[in-house]
Amino acid sequence: MRFAEGGVLRRRSAKGWGATKAMTLAVTAVMSGMLSAPLIAKPYVPADDARVLAELPAGAHHAELSARRLARDRLDVAVPLAQFYIAQARASGDLRFLGYAEAVLAPWVGPATSGAPAPGAPAPAALVLQATVQQSRHEFAAALGTLDRSLAVFPRDPQAWLTRATVLRVLGRYAEAQTACTEFARFADHAVAVICEQSLAGLTGHLDSAYTALAALSGQDLTVPERAWRESELGEMAVRLGRDDEAEHWFSQALTLSPQDFYVRAAYADLLLRARRDAEVRTLLQGQESIEPLLLRLAIAQQHLRDPNFERSRELLQAAFGAEEARGEAVHRREQARFLLEVQAQPAAALDAALANWAVQREPDDALILVAAAHAAGTPGRAAPAIAFARAQGLHDVRLTAAQGMGQDLAPGTDQGG
Amino acid sequence: MVNPVRRLLALLLLGLAANVQAHVASNSFLTVHLDGANADGALELAVRDAEIAVGLDADRDGKVTWGEVRGAQGALLAYLDRHLELAGADGRCALHFGALQINERVDGNYLWQPFTAACAGAMRHLTITYRLLDQEDPSHRGLLTLTATGVAQTAVLGGARPVQTFDLRHPSRWSAFAEYFHVGVWHIWSGIDHLLFLLSLLLPAVLIRRDHRWQAVPQAAPALFNILKVVTAFTLAHSITLSLAAFDIIRLPSRLTESIIAGSIIVGALNNVFPIVTEARWRIAFAFGLLHGFGFAAVLSEMGLPAGARLVSLVAFNLGVEAGQLAVVLAVMPLAYLARASRVYQRGVVPWGSTAIAALALVWFVQRAAG
Repeated sequence: MRFAEGGVLRRRSAKGWGATKAMTLAVTAVMSGMLSAPLIAKPYVPADDARVLAELPAGAHHAELSARRLARDRLDVAVPLAQFYIAQARASGDLRFLGYAEAVLAPWVGPATSGAPAPGAPAPAALVLQATVQQSRHEFAAALGTLDRSLAVFPRDPQAWLTRATVLRVLGRYAEAQTACTEFARFADHAVAVICEQSLAGLTGHLDSAYTALAALSGQDLTVPERAWRESELGEMAVRLGRDDEAEHWFSQALTLSPQDFYVRAAYADLLLRARRDAEVRTLLQGQESIEPLLLRLAIAQQHLRDPNFERSRELLQAAFGAEEARGEAVHRREQARFLLEVQAQPAAALDAALANWAVQREPDDALILVAAAHAAGTPGRAAPAIAFARAQGLHDVRLTAAQGMGQDLAPGTDQGG
Repeated sequence: MVNPVRRLLALLLLGLAANVQAHVASNSFLTVHLDGANADGALELAVRDAEIAVGLDADRDGKVTWGEVRGAQGALLAYLDRHLELAGADGRCALHFGALQINERVDGNYLWQPFTAACAGAMRHLTITYRLLDQEDPSHRGLLTLTATGVAQTAVLGGARPVQTFDLRHPSRWSAFAEYFHVGVWHIWSGIDHLLFLLSLLLPAVLIRRDHRWQAVPQAAPALFNILKVVTAFTLAHSITLSLAAFDIIRLPSRLTESIIAGSIIVGALNNVFPIVTEARWRIAFAFGLLHGFGFAAVLSEMGLPAGARLVSLVAFNLGVEAGQLAVVLAVMPLAYLARASRVYQRGVVPWGSTAIAALALVWFVQRAAG
């Protein structure tokens, strides 16, 4: 099974460390609530030796360093170990695992990304995983560079082409993404190649036909992760077509196939939020609070429901966005913009964040949050870049059309990434 | 360039036991207070990170207990000794670690390791070498807050820059000034509500109300005087409240001020359509200017004022706001003056422009009041 990572491959945006430390964002209001943080904890000495301070997830033990040491000399250890860490990062939302993956890959990706000496030439498999890590952090330019290096060594690697298509799609560079899909199709199963191509066609003026084509695609030739990918693309297309009933069907199918896919879960939650089915959102996201994009949706639902846990969720989100800012990074800038707009009711700050986000990534949901924030801030004209982009590409999205009309109460989708 | 000091301080203040923990990137918090050649401070390292660094979970049951942490303190200190270094011009400072404690943050428990440092010689610079977790987790960073001679600076340690040197002598007041001036200008231009308010009061400044209709002022002097009064009153008023709010003397909830600011635009604009106050519009400018000041203050409170340069930053921000405002007045009012006698201006721009402004402000008002 070539595409064991299939469901995961398409993870589009990921995190953009330092991609834009835009000055404008300086004024963002992430911290505003924190400045008046009412609760100040003080260090203390626990009274009881048995007091548990942390529970360690799999992969977070010092003892596993022996495996990591082995990975320095053996690619056949490094690759699965890095895959495991990346999977852990996705399932848990814990960004530390991306760092662990990076450490394991360092000896195998050559001097461009690490000072560590490579035992031999850079390994394509390690480079593709490295690109996945970079993509998960929204370091898109770096991810493309790493993929180029990988493809220079092994140009027939479908995984590298698919990851490349995915990154370019997030960046809104659809023509190049299409080229990557075409390359991918040369080395991949036909059915999977169709998903790659039709999902792009659905963004570039052919939404109806792409939706029909993808819905007609037999799931028989697909692995489970690949089917989950198809269903989630169909769900997104249905949302853009304004067919929320069908979208709900696709999203719940995708979640059944791939329950840990937080991206689909977030898209599903957005659909429910748009219909004001807040209580269902709360149920859907229960126990998923450690994943920032999901916590955001939960907070919005809790706010609507006047749930007493809302304040807690808000604090958690502030802490998470605050930590990213303090590091000079903006991993979840789209969610940050939406947090500022919908939870904090700070449209001006939300607009700055949405603009900074738009400078980095250009998915339909990025356009949507920008339009929403610009309208809420009373300056709809500032969404012009997104609207011009959507027109030029032939992007059809009923949410975007509605947002341009009223600009309020939107529920853009999640950022994808680890 | 949000003032990072305030930002970090805010982060440092956050901390609570969490049943549910949001995942935050791997950060430690390093605070250093330098007094002459001596320093004290603390390093806060997530239990998760300390586990990766030195191994705390002795019985390997997946749970790190306080007993296990105490058992591993020797290993932890040895690790810190190898991976963290403070140095002055005359060499490395001697670090002495105190009793380990625990701090609860939203994203989990942190080990709180206090220390003192004895450096040698005149401390003009402090060099910090930070290599914690550099082999295990290259995404780990140390968030530094360094205070020396009453000035705080912050930095992100580790990653590609494990060794950083900090100048302890001159805090750059000029850079604070430039930064806050820029934010002030930027805010008035992007915060169109302040400008619309001012504009609604200035549109009729080149006119005079007689016999229930607008007429052109005969010469420049009264127009100029009108403009001057309105702009001065607005500036004075928002400067007062901005200062009061910036120094935490008065605080208003932002939703309230934002709603009233929208309301003020409605009042100012409608007064041009159905004039009540025709001569002393500067009074409206002053009264509502007080509230706009709180609006400006909200921007500042989001940024914070840098310790050691609070006053200079506040003045710079205010000057930036004035400069931005003045630029718009200089661009618009000469045109208004030239057009003042035309029907288009008197019957079109003033009443219908004001109506449009009021309508827009009404939308804001509803949005803001409804939250």
